[in-house]
Amino acid sequence: MTAFGKGRGCLTAVPRPPPPPPPPSSPSNSRAARGRGRRPRRRIGGRGGGWGGAGGWRHRRREIEAAGRRQQQQQERLRGQHERLWALLVLGGGALLPRPSGLHRDPAPAAHQSAEPSFRQGALLGQDPEVDSRKIDQEGKIPDETLEKLKSLGLFGMQVPEEYGGLGLSNTMYARLAEVIGLDASIAVTLAAHQSIGLKGIILAGSKEQKARYLPRLASGEHVAAFCLTEPASGSDAASIRTRATLSADKSHYVLNGSKVWITNGGLANVFTVFAKTEVVDSDGSVKDKITAFIVERDFGGVTNGKPEDKMGIRGSNTCEVHFENTRVPVENVLGEVGGGFKVAVNILNSGRFSMGSMVAGMLKKLIEMTAEYACTRKQFNRNLSEFGLIQEKFALMAQKAYVMESMAYLTAAMLDAPGFPDCSIEAAMVKVFSSEGAWTCVSEALQILGSSGYARDYPYERLLRDSRILLIFEGTNEILRMYIALTGLQHAGRILTARVKELKRGNVTTIMETVGQRLRDSLGRTVDLGLTGKLGVVHPSLVDGAHKLEENVYYFGRSVETLLLRFGKTIVEEQLVLKRVANVLINLYGMTAVLSRASRSIRLGLRDQDHEVLLANIFCSEAYHQNLFTLSQLDKHSPENLDDMVKKVSQQILEKRAYICTHPLDRTS
Amino acid sequence: MSWAQAILLARGASRGWGGICSTALTGAPFSQVPPQAPRGLRCSAAAHNPDSSLVPHPPEPPRRPVKALAVHEELFRPALDGARNKANFVRAVQNFTEYNVHKRGHVDFIYLALRKMREYGVERDLSVYNLLLDIFPKEVFRPRNIFHSIFLHYPRQQECGIAVLEQMENHGVMPNKETEFLLLQIFGRKSYPMLKLVRMKLWFTRFKNINPFPVPRDLPQDPVDLASLALQHMEPDLSARVTTYQMPLLKDSPDAMDPTETHIVGIQSPEQQSALARHDPARPIFVEGPFSLWLRDKCVYYHILRADLLPPEEREVEEIPEEWNIYYPMQLDLAYGRSSWDDYEFNIDEVEEGPVFAICVAGAHDQATLAKWIQGLQETNPALARIPVVFRLSGSSGELLPSSSELEEPPPPPPEGQEEEDSQQRQQQGQS
Repeated sequence: MTAFGKGRGCLTAVPRPPPPPPPPSSPSNSRAARGRGRRPRRRIGGRGGGWGGAGGWRHRRREIEAAGRRQQQQQERLRGQHERLWALLVLGGGALLPRPSGLHRDPAPAAHQSAEPSFRQGALLGQDPEVDSRKIDQEGKIPDETLEKLKSLGLFGMQVPEEYGGLGLSNTMYARLAEVIGLDASIAVTLAAHQSIGLKGIILAGSKEQKARYLPRLASGEHVAAFCLTEPASGSDAASIRTRATLSADKSHYVLNGSKVWITNGGLANVFTVFAKTEVVDSDGSVKDKITAFIVERDFGGVTNGKPEDKMGIRGSNTCEVHFENTRVPVENVLGEVGGGFKVAVNILNSGRFSMGSMVAGMLKKLIEMTAEYACTRKQFNRNLSEFGLIQEKFALMAQKAYVMESMAYLTAAMLDAPGFPDCSIEAAMVKVFSSEGAWTCVSEALQILGSSGYARDYPYERLLRDSRILLIFEGTNEILRMYIALTGLQHAGRILTARVKELKRGNVTTIMETVGQRLRDSLGRTVDLGLTGKLGVVHPSLVDGAHKLEENVYYFGRSVETLLLRFGKTIVEEQLVLKRVANVLINLYGMTAVLSRASRSIRLGLRDQDHEVLLANIFCSEAYHQNLFTLSQLDKHSPENLDDMVKKVSQQILEKRAYICTHPLDRTS
Repeated sequence: MSWAQAILLARGASRGWGGICSTALTGAPFSQVPPQAPRGLRCSAAAHNPDSSLVPHPPEPPRRPVKALAVHEELFRPALDGARNKANFVRAVQNFTEYNVHKRGHVDFIYLALRKMREYGVERDLSVYNLLLDIFPKEVFRPRNIFHSIFLHYPRQQECGIAVLEQMENHGVMPNKETEFLLLQIFGRKSYPMLKLVRMKLWFTRFKNINPFPVPRDLPQDPVDLASLALQHMEPDLSARVTTYQMPLLKDSPDAMDPTETHIVGIQSPEQQSALARHDPARPIFVEGPFSLWLRDKCVYYHILRADLLPPEEREVEEIPEEWNIYYPMQLDLAYGRSSWDDYEFNIDEVEEGPVFAICVAGAHDQATLAKWIQGLQETNPALARIPVVFRLSGSSGELLPSSSELEEPPPPPPEGQEEEDSQQRQQQGQS
């Protein structure tokens, strides 16, 4: 958690010393468990590779194979590049970029750019016979030949290490590919359920034998994976999981009973990651029910699934109930430790989220193209729609959201790719929240531009709207993720602040005087300078405004957090309205960080259209700054003043009566 | 206005003036204003209402009021079909106005009609009240000058108008624009009926919805329906389910009071159910009652199943399991919490009570009936079979009962401890 804390120096503001050269072995157990340590990086397609273009699928497949052959040599080159970039960015003050080599490094720029047009247009407009999103949506099924092609491209094993037959992509590369895959939501969800959560457990927690046994066939797409956690009575509440696994008498296998709901790929999958309660003998001898993760094959018997759910969006993906009835699971198929399923589930879910940012950004970029086309051709009052301010504003909004979520997604991916970098689950959650909400707003605004044709089924826009609604719900609803973001952040801040708060409470005169003095200085107006700008600053001078705003927000946010912890202590867990605000500020801060670093990098590298990026970055920073100021001012108030009290009262009254309370406006007493 | 009417009004005014002067001099309150001399278009009247505060002397020879009363009574004779409904009432009023073009004796008629309204079931009908007010001649009783309005102008008529409004008020009928317009035409703006109307319009709106727990106007007659209404009225949780454990016998014989055959209706919410399931079987639970609940003019008696509050040292602190929420931490690992200075509930006096597990309304308040309720509850609450139930019934319902209902009262309770033991034994016998 970098963009959090008391302000002073907690943000990655102070130039970070270069990390020690990657140690020969993985630095920590968790890294090792995730298999994300020093994975050999690899580029798809290589330079001038023909992803798509005229070549089509077969050609792309060849390219991937070619990429495999070139892998060794590229790895060498890449490592060299790391060093160069590192030096460049540290000298240029690149500390804000958490990992200079990782951020926004495009694995194979040329290849993807040439591949995209055909895939995109095909997917969205339904012209490409290979991926007909409209047909997928209408028939509620991805055609088998499309799936076969996806498999032949290796897209079912994007993050599976190469020794198990996958592509072994880094997170950055995965994010880059997700941008293209995201053009058809059904395919994206099917693939994500397969590899972001379905088989991720095997990669993260599986033993060597398990990996060798399952991953090759999963990577090739011969087997599809599904993630079975949700139950009728258990959403995020792990304690109420009813599925049970009992050890057989000979201790050779578990007998699994129970049913799971809302399982994506439930009907297609052959391999399931199932979470069930097992009896575990504690260290003190007491028997407890604990969650254990299992790898369950359909062939184990007793696995049935219900009919696919009829959904609002992502209709091509297969979602159904899965039932396990006396399924015999060998002991070797326990994923991780017995009783350690909770951690496995948490790790899988936390690691799968970051790719949504680039996925949505890819979709938005295409959407902007299409709506811009419409706005520039449709005439009203002898003027194009594009000449009206209210329409122009919507394009700026869409571009800004796409820019921010893209920056956030690739920053997070880069941080995940960096060797030895700590857990990025908060950042991933922030990316997910921001991008899902951005998707919903932007698609809605696009529909506004399109008018009635946006509402018609003949056009793809209404499908995009339906598809994007699920983003706010799955992989942890945004509400729950906000709680996660805020609470995990506060936990971190709390540890730092504990000593100080304790002294304040005890009435230590020096600390109190310090605090009072600090507050006095603040009230007299203070310029916060955390060192982002200036001579050795990491932010380019044209972004100084945004950087100052970020610094100020970070500083005052730290102060607010301190006040909140003082005011609520542990009970802040129950103050969800407060936590929501904390999370909102955090998301904005992270977005500002990502945007500033990306725009600075673009300027320094001399990328094309950097001035446009600067504009977007400044717009976002300014908007986010004002939002943050407002939110912080609310956080500093007590509940009667920031309306929380009233809001709660209203909802309590409504929920007590379970109805809208007010009388009809036409009602009268006489 | 016709010339003749003006003359008549002038005469009436002068007499009214005299009357008011005398009232003012005697200092008697308004309701005791001595009767006025006959005047203008007002017809004579006699004791229209025996308990009315306004008891006018018969201004005419005593023979005529009796006759007039008889005439008015006749109008309200039951119609051929014998039905007493709005149509017949309206017809009677219309007959009066048609029969009596000069509206002679209209004050008496209005008083009479007011008394008759309940019989005809129109006491809540605004249009009927407006019809009654419409009987008053218009423009006649309006004050013409400042002295009229200072001193009570046509007091008997104004009293009558007030009586109409008062009956409306008693039945909760809100006057409308038509009422206001009629009063304006009859008595003018500066008159007592108008004042009454304005006050009604002010306060009615404030009091109409003052009860946050409204009771329907017409209560069900069936005791089971009434009981379930009462239970739902008391239970705040909307997911609570009303169960009828026993239906009363349909016959109206006195045997219906037999405790084996009265109705038993209970309510229990899912939360109460789970609280009962968690209850420590070592601690007894109590059936207490009867307590009274008034629903408009009806009283319902209920019993509760409750437990004592756990002593603070035995209360379990709810633990947050470590691996509970997949998505976010349910508790923070911080070294500090709110201290006593931050205790926002410090000054709030709250009396904690033990949990209530269920409520029931039964036709009889004895132990046999209530034991049946407990048996019925056991079907949905298996835990109840293991928990000792103690009946703590107060002897009477707290209401003065007519002597005939003494039969249904339970026998006077034995000393408390003994009863507890008794009932515990009985309960255990019942379970075994």
